[in-house]
Amino acid sequence: MDNIISVKNLNAYYNKKNHVLKNINIDIPRNKVMAIIGPSGCGKSTFIRCLNRMHEVVGGTIDGSIEVDGQDLMKVDPVLLRKQVGMVFQKPNPFPTMSIFNNVAAGLRLNGVRGKKTLAPIVEKSLRQAALWDEVKDNLDKSGMDLSGGQQQRLCIARTLAVNPKVILMDEPASALDPLSTSKIEDLIFELKNEYTIVIVTHNMQQASRVSDFTAFFYVGDLVEISDTRKMFTSPDNKKTEDYISGRFG
Amino acid sequence: MQEHYTQEIEDLKTNLFKMAALVDEQIERAMKSLQENDLEIIKGIKAKDHEIDAYDNLIKTQCENILAIFQPVASDLRYIMSVIMVNANLERCGDIAINISRRVKRTSEHHNLLIESNLIEMSKIARQMVKDSIDSFINLDLDLANKSLSEDESVDEINRAAFRFFIAKMQENPSLIEPCSHLIVLSRLIERLADHATHISENLIFYVEAKLIAHRKKLEKRENE
Repeated sequence: MDNIISVKNLNAYYNKKNHVLKNINIDIPRNKVMAIIGPSGCGKSTFIRCLNRMHEVVGGTIDGSIEVDGQDLMKVDPVLLRKQVGMVFQKPNPFPTMSIFNNVAAGLRLNGVRGKKTLAPIVEKSLRQAALWDEVKDNLDKSGMDLSGGQQQRLCIARTLAVNPKVILMDEPASALDPLSTSKIEDLIFELKNEYTIVIVTHNMQQASRVSDFTAFFYVGDLVEISDTRKMFTSPDNKKTEDYISGRFG
Repeated sequence: MQEHYTQEIEDLKTNLFKMAALVDEQIERAMKSLQENDLEIIKGIKAKDHEIDAYDNLIKTQCENILAIFQPVASDLRYIMSVIMVNANLERCGDIAINISRRVKRTSEHHNLLIESNLIEMSKIARQMVKDSIDSFINLDLDLANKSLSEDESVDEINRAAFRFFIAKMQENPSLIEPCSHLIVLSRLIERLADHATHISENLIFYVEAKLIAHRKKLEKRENE
């Protein structure tokens, strides 16, 4: 299998003492969706933050190796890396003072792309990919904050897509949304995997089983089990995995 | 939520076990009547079947509710799927007990043919298979389930031999056409009863070991062709 991300012997720490990820080994296949599940505090958000070096931003350190498309993550400039490995957060976070258009164009401008004529087709393409274009095409100058929560989240996804990343990290992208908006985000994930690799952290077991091809279960910093999602949710190998996905703890 | 779920599963188990006990009792009566040619035992057997039918609907509804509300996964999901299948098997076993008792009534004057055709022996094996499969599902006893599964072939063999026996009897003596026709159906009913016992055991194996073993022999045979 063609793996876009290869994580070997990854350990992550906060304040050098708090060992939050312990010797993690994961290969993430290209153009697939990998769900990361586990109870609160298990290290799943830390894990995806390591994949675009956001872990360092919050004072964390790591050892071990992470390769994205063959490049050693620690040797890539973090700003360039985050262009390749985009991130969508739990709470939609459009830039509050910017229009819908400018929200999507923000990452492009940061990377030196200028001029409305150049930006407009990329913004349209990104909004279409994020299944938002038809809802906002007549209001591109309005504030991103005027949109509903679900639309704001799709706007953030469009903003991530605009810089043409290889990987999209999603940290509970639908947990603050109503069922209909959640369903739209899930449909979107399904569409996006044709072009992108997606790593999604979720607390929602049904969501993990619906959207992902592979699932990794973390527990107190350990990777307990990683397998094909269908296997994970029908006959997991590990008793702890079974107890967690069945709601017996966590 | 977990407590609520556990309670729902306990209620479901209780109803399935009560239904299984009723089915077991019905089969016991039908088989005893067949083996001893005693028509007294099967009096009122049909009325009891309504209770089984009521449990069938109740269990289906409980399973539907559990799937809709709790969306179980892994072994919890396999358990509900197994219960849905076992419930259907038990309900059919209940119907077969009624049908066997009907055929016993119609053939009671030809009990000697049952003995000669080996249907008595076949009924004993099938009856034990049903008992073992139900017990195995209740106690999650894989050994007992496998024991029950291993008996199915001998029931099938007796069924095939009995068919040949009854055809020969009818050719020999046309006055036996009617009773032998009933007895061919009776043999087929006992064979179906053993099949349902097999399905119950297969469902236990699916639940406990996450293995689908139904149709295994047929599929292996086709692969080898």
